[in-house]
Amino acid sequence: MKEKTIRHTGRLPQTFIYLGKLFRMFIFQNDWKVLPMSAIIAGLVSFAVGRNLFKTMEGTLTGTFALSCICIWNGFFNSIQVICRERAIIKREHRSGLHISSYVLAHMIYQAFICICQVIITIVICLATNIVFPKETLLFSIPYIDFGITMFLITYCADMLALMISAIAKTTTTAMTVMPFLLIVQLVFSGGFFSLPDAAEPLTDFTIAKWGLISLCAQGNYNSLPMVTVWNSAVKMKDIEIEGQKPLKIVLQSIEEKGQREEILKQSGLQNQNPKYNFDLKIVLKCWKALLFWIVIYVAVATLFLEYIDKDKR
Amino acid sequence: MIFFSDFYQIFGYVTSTIGFFMIFKKCDVKWWYSFIPVVREYQIALCSDKEKEGQTYAIINFLAYAVGFMTFFYEEGSTYILIPFFILLALIFALIIYKIRIYVGFVKNFGLSKKWIVFFLFFEGIACLVVGLNKNIQPVKKVVNYKLLDETKIGGIKADSIDDGLTVNITDRSILDFFRKKYLLKDIHLTIPKGHMVLLLGGSGAGKTTFVNAVTGYEKANATIELSKHDVYKEYGKMMYDIGFVPQQDLIRGNDTVLLTLTDAASLRLPSDISFADKRKRVADVLELFGLSAVKNNLVDKLSGGQRKRLSIAMEFISDPTLFILDEPDSGLDGVVARSLFKQLRAIADEGKIVIVITHTPDRVIDLFDDVIVLAKDQRRTGRLAFYGAIKDAYEFFGKSSMEEILLSINQKEEGGEGRAEEFVGKYVEKVQVEANV
Repeated sequence: MKEKTIRHTGRLPQTFIYLGKLFRMFIFQNDWKVLPMSAIIAGLVSFAVGRNLFKTMEGTLTGTFALSCICIWNGFFNSIQVICRERAIIKREHRSGLHISSYVLAHMIYQAFICICQVIITIVICLATNIVFPKETLLFSIPYIDFGITMFLITYCADMLALMISAIAKTTTTAMTVMPFLLIVQLVFSGGFFSLPDAAEPLTDFTIAKWGLISLCAQGNYNSLPMVTVWNSAVKMKDIEIEGQKPLKIVLQSIEEKGQREEILKQSGLQNQNPKYNFDLKIVLKCWKALLFWIVIYVAVATLFLEYIDKDKR
Repeated sequence: MIFFSDFYQIFGYVTSTIGFFMIFKKCDVKWWYSFIPVVREYQIALCSDKEKEGQTYAIINFLAYAVGFMTFFYEEGSTYILIPFFILLALIFALIIYKIRIYVGFVKNFGLSKKWIVFFLFFEGIACLVVGLNKNIQPVKKVVNYKLLDETKIGGIKADSIDDGLTVNITDRSILDFFRKKYLLKDIHLTIPKGHMVLLLGGSGAGKTTFVNAVTGYEKANATIELSKHDVYKEYGKMMYDIGFVPQQDLIRGNDTVLLTLTDAASLRLPSDISFADKRKRVADVLELFGLSAVKNNLVDKLSGGQRKRLSIAMEFISDPTLFILDEPDSGLDGVVARSLFKQLRAIADEGKIVIVITHTPDRVIDLFDDVIVLAKDQRRTGRLAFYGAIKDAYEFFGKSSMEEILLSINQKEEGGEGRAEEFVGKYVEKVQVEANV
């Protein structure tokens, strides 16, 4: 019999073996399709909500929420099926000496590459549809890098959440059934876009959308922007008559004539500032840390569940 | 003051308890289970021959009780109560689905029309009462309490460890299934010398895969497995590379080429100090050996069934294992291709390897095997060794002339077999005991 004191391929070389496999899959198994898909989604969203993004408070809240949603959607679709579709193969390879940590690390690296590509595509599409990013930055001198990091972390965090689901789910059907449920939770409990009862507020900390939205709003200097809702409502009500007169129309005309419209909108914004969206590096870093924290948690859970893959029934 | 809903609940509980009580008597289940919530529903599932559904139902039922109990701690009118309420709603929905599944089994086992399922769903208590009281409605299959059955004879004679081969001494392999200990394998002791090609024969659920997993160390049993005096369990980290297991399905990524698939398999399985040139040579040799050189640059998805099977085997053979186990390598292959594959396995065995093969069509290639391991379910549904030895001795032992006939003789009657597993397990234990005394 052979001498058994020999060493076998360690974790790092195994990671590279699997990276090779994943990139081959990118080419041969149509995984590349997630990139043009992200371009189409970004195009549609920026067409719909890009006009007032970083111009007004309302437009920024809607736009950044939509941007977060694009990132979460991209992340989810990147990896929701990647593990469960080849679960039986992983089980076989685990039997032959595969280290689960290497397998997960290979996925993390590969997915990071995909997420970076998607973020670049999304930013390019935003620029192509005339979205103007704020010039003032918090960390790097180029705003696209600041925004890019946030968008990457949102996409990557969603990606790792989907990877975790894919590692837990036994079949692709199960994974795809769970995904919409998670997506709804992300959207509803983002804590910024929909008003939630106080009791549900702690739940928002568990969502990627919340941290993404806060970070993007803070970077977009939300609190310095004008608010148009009050003005638009007043314009709609200008013809209401009170005692034979139209007082709202008179006031609006007066403001327009004196050129105070912008000032009024600015004042309206000042009265509706939200301290959690302050243009503050600490806020952005806190959001990034929260997203990183969830990435670590999702990866740890995915690895832990995959370690028990041998328990899978035939 | 008792409201109608309270009255309905009390009436439902009383009637269902009496109904369950009568049904349990018919199914040989302890009568007092009918008073215990959750447990009684599980027992009804056993009476319906739907054990797995019963387990899930019991767990969901328990959770529903727990969530329902939680709601008492909320203030009246609190919005928080909506959370357990929604969870409870989801659980109740799941309970209804599982109840339907269980009662589908119930009506089948009691020979009732499917219309009864509706009756059971909406008026469970009355339906149970009617079934329980009606003497003409009897179950086809009663609940078997395996603990009460006599245990099939245990030999317990351990096989002596051999230098050049595999020594298997499995005392038992058990699992905990819903708080019950279930024995999957018991009392399997044998040695296989190197150079032997062994057929692993057994009906469905006889424990073939459990046996293979226990032997390879993949799922450890209460056992000692030695490959050339090396303890597989204690030295699993090293021994796993000396054991090749080819699963029944071709679990290979279809989007890779044959060459890259085999190269990656070599990188995973071969020692890390082997040079790249040697690795490449080994891959080329194995490609040649399994007749895959011509298609080495093809995608796996484009291969024929036979080629995929050979690639699957080659992936394990790349590390040149001493023990080589194959689970139905001929599934989906025609007779000619299957025979050619088995000849290749014979050649591997002739190189001094141990080859163990599970196949459901052994007779067409039986001349290529040296020995046969026959596993059978005893009356407690535990996988037991019914025979191990040379092929011709097996024919003599079972009094049959083909492996298919042997399989039929040990299969349960409800599977279309002769149901003689118990007899042969006992006979083999006696044979081993006699040989040990000699």
